Amino acid sequence: MADNPCPPLAQLEAIVGAGRVFTDADSLEHYGRDWTRFYPPAPCAVVLPGSIEEVQAIVHLAAAENLAIVPSGGRTGLSAGGVATRGELVLALDRMNRIEDFNPVDRTVRCGAGVVTEQLQQFAADQGLFYPVDFASSGSSQIGGNISTNAGGIKVIRHGMTRDWVAGLKLVTGTGELLDLNRGLVKNNTGYDLRHLVIGAEGTLGVVVEATMQLDQAPKDLAVMVLGVPDMPALMRVLGAFREQLTLSAFEFFSEPALAKVVAHQGLPRPFETEAPYYALLEFEQSGEVDMDAAMAVFEDCVGEGWVLDGTISQSLTQAENLWRLREDISETITPWTPYKNDISTVISKVPDFLDEVEAVVNAAYPDFEIIWFGHIGDGNVHLNILKPEGLDIDLFREQCGEVSKLVFDIVQRYGGSVSAEHGVGLLKKDYLQYSRSPAEIEIMRQIKRAFDPQGIMNPGKIFDL
Amino acid sequence: MKVLVAVKRVVDYNVKVRAKADGSDVDLNNVKMAINPFCEIAVEEAVRLKEKGVATEVVVVSIGGKTCQEQIRTALALGADRGIQVEVEGNAEPLVVAKLLKGVVEKEEPQLVILGKQSIDGDNNQTGQMLGALTGMGQGTFASEVVVDGDKVNVTREIDGGLQTVALTLPAIVTTDLRLNEPRYASLPNIMKAKKKPLDVLTPADLGVEVKSHITLLKVEPPAERSAGIKVADVDQLVDKLKNEAKVI
Repeated sequence: MADNPCPPLAQLEAIVGAGRVFTDADSLEHYGRDWTRFYPPAPCAVVLPGSIEEVQAIVHLAAAENLAIVPSGGRTGLSAGGVATRGELVLALDRMNRIEDFNPVDRTVRCGAGVVTEQLQQFAADQGLFYPVDFASSGSSQIGGNISTNAGGIKVIRHGMTRDWVAGLKLVTGTGELLDLNRGLVKNNTGYDLRHLVIGAEGTLGVVVEATMQLDQAPKDLAVMVLGVPDMPALMRVLGAFREQLTLSAFEFFSEPALAKVVAHQGLPRPFETEAPYYALLEFEQSGEVDMDAAMAVFEDCVGEGWVLDGTISQSLTQAENLWRLREDISETITPWTPYKNDISTVISKVPDFLDEVEAVVNAAYPDFEIIWFGHIGDGNVHLNILKPEGLDIDLFREQCGEVSKLVFDIVQRYGGSVSAEHGVGLLKKDYLQYSRSPAEIEIMRQIKRAFDPQGIMNPGKIFDL
Repeated sequence: MKVLVAVKRVVDYNVKVRAKADGSDVDLNNVKMAINPFCEIAVEEAVRLKEKGVATEVVVVSIGGKTCQEQIRTALALGADRGIQVEVEGNAEPLVVAKLLKGVVEKEEPQLVILGKQSIDGDNNQTGQMLGALTGMGQGTFASEVVVDGDKVNVTREIDGGLQTVALTLPAIVTTDLRLNEPRYASLPNIMKAKKKPLDVLTPADLGVEVKSHITLLKVEPPAERSAGIKVADVDQLVDKLKNEAKVI
């Protein structure tokens, strides 16, 4: 679908009402892209529906006109899954942001696709409950987008991915049909669970318009620890040692260059004076002095073994928040350097060897580029960010990074890992899908797409080409 | 030079406090407690004086139940040398706290007493000043800079419209404002060392003070909820509403 017909603006306006269809340059740029900056946005128009019926009507119209649709949530994606580069119609779900039908018995709540993650977290907190999926962009990202990318984030080690919290969802398929999938059931073994196909499908199967989200018991008193660690293998030993004694709700890591940038740009204090090559951030529930004593004992052991150089632990919620920011603000802090992001993973047990190999390749391949490591190492997932040197042409930079990515992905493939652990494939990782998925798998994915979207109008060209 | 620092255990700054259903007090059940932020700044300042070689010993004192030992330990982990808990159940009001601190001052004879300008729970902003009156020591309140110079301390104060620097003869009292310093994190090795630092427990009787209450809490209620804003269609409607509803123009 290279050339789309002109958008039927009048008909779109008839569906959603005046003032909810945009074609001005600012809107096209704003709604047409996500946090990736490698692809210039070029949608034909932006439409903001306010109800499921309106979404269905738009899809019917698009199908009749053979017009491609890019569903758009909070536009915080990092793989260009939500970028409209080829004259598509952007269908932004911002207006469908109602939280309704909270059910305290089921601990579920119905969310419009446009509900912002933080809004759901706050809603849960107001009910004395907890929505555990959390990440740096939770103030902008939307539930529909979280579902379409199966967003992960910083609490996966304890609470899993978005997939684990979707009790049901409604999807408008490429034919405009509305599917009500799973309806909040805990147990429902009645054939294929289509809900799970939609989660992580990046809008290629249809538009997620609503979801019934599961909420959890609120954690009690969370303590945040930051440790200075001499090398990556030590990180995994530290993880093992703490996991033996405590239930961790987060185990994150970042490198000294990442910390230095965040400290300099966000005005935050360093966690301690000792400079370490890597830092681990741990979070756990402290249900009294027992946990704290256990944590201290493990810390002492780790220092004795030479796995930890120094450390600190939050003494207040403000400190906990500020320590978290050392990790969470990295992405935003490095954005001005147009980082080329690799979001790779393997099984946790293989992480030390895996990272050894990746680090060697990266250091040899990018002697002049600044490299920022961080990520969810407790989940076997690291974010490898290569910063663009000032003055280097952006296309040239992406090309060079793409070449090295292949070397990295060779390693990923040998370890049976993933070339996109939580960011999705979108446009950015499309050419590398075969490193993680077999030709047979990709062919079945194509067939599934055709079943949901026979005309191929739902976010075409993302993940794979038909 | 010996420095005495007072710290208070309060509701964590980030906790959204709620009134008890019967309105008798703030609900402290299962609520995260922490060192009062202004007190934390006081500890940091004392520790910095010690690191500069100005102070030789930093003694931290807290007035409260056994749980306030947690905050004393935090201060010890930040670098204070030893702790004193004055055992008082319930919420002691500023005058009682000031009298108890006066007792500790007489016992310890510090050259400098550093306190937070106020605690974020009571918001009284009285203890430092009352301690000044009771002990006859000079006071530099709302400090944004503290420089010890021989037998004097120069305290830069944040006042309306600018800064004022006062020179106080030691011994003196300083209360801290927000911009005095940025407190450090307690390092884990220091937290462990802090467990072994001495912590003495005193009673008000030890200090010759009778704990009396002069204030009765009548009622605690949450602030009135703000009603939601509205969107106006155009300037005319805005002007109309400002004129006829808000009556501000």
